[in-house]
Amino acid sequence: MKNLIVTAYLVYLPIVMLLTYYVAHQLFKNSIVYMKDIFNGREEIAKATNTLFKIGFYLMNLGFALYILKITAEKINTQGAIEILSMKVGGFSIYLGVMLFLNMYLFFRGKRVAREKDWWPRFPIKLSSFVIILIWS
Amino acid sequence: MNYNIFCYIIYSIITIYIIIWVGKLFHRNGRVFIVKLFNDNSSLADTTNNIILVAYYLFNIGYAVIQFSFWEQVTNAGQLISSVSNKTGILILILAATHYCNIFIIYTLSKKSTFITSKTS
Repeated sequence: MKNLIVTAYLVYLPIVMLLTYYVAHQLFKNSIVYMKDIFNGREEIAKATNTLFKIGFYLMNLGFALYILKITAEKINTQGAIEILSMKVGGFSIYLGVMLFLNMYLFFRGKRVAREKDWWPRFPIKLSSFVIILIWS
Repeated sequence: MNYNIFCYIIYSIITIYIIIWVGKLFHRNGRVFIVKLFNDNSSLADTTNNIILVAYYLFNIGYAVIQFSFWEQVTNAGQLISSVSNKTGILILILAATHYCNIFIIYTLSKKSTFITSKTS
């Protein structure tokens, strides 16, 4: 009976780690494009930001996965173990999906902010210089 | 055989390895931002970066070691795995939370500094 719980843990851990690795790998392989766009093609800072977000993603998800590992049921049979495992793995995978969309939201927000910053300060300067030229002439 | 001592050994190996590895990664990748904040004065930026790394190690390893005195009594192998993973999970979640805080702080600071430089230049 004790062994069944230990077996469940040993099944749960590799599944969770592989899932996190796969999602993070896919997400941050593709996000470097956004980063280059946000930082105007400055390679160094884009890569650094990408790595920082990647570490944050790994920390958050692996931490949560380890935190919810504990099985509280006292008596457990094979069917119960499979059901508990399905609950945990499924819940974790939904959580991963939510986190994926959160990170994508951050990327899109950064892209929008970068575009506004690019466009906004130039406009008043041009306008004011235009006004000054008008007054001078 | 006492399970608790087993727990402490496994837990300290895992957490100290994670803390040192993550610290190194942050140290290497955060340097760009600190150099940018210090206006390309790279010697000042490097010393600040090193001091921040040492402070990070002190805080986190201290927190990890303090957890030994708040450990439940462990009686079997299942409880060993679950308690170690529970404590490690909390530590990693704290790391993640502080990491996102740091990204936010760097973001606001860099916004401020670009505002100042664009105003003065």
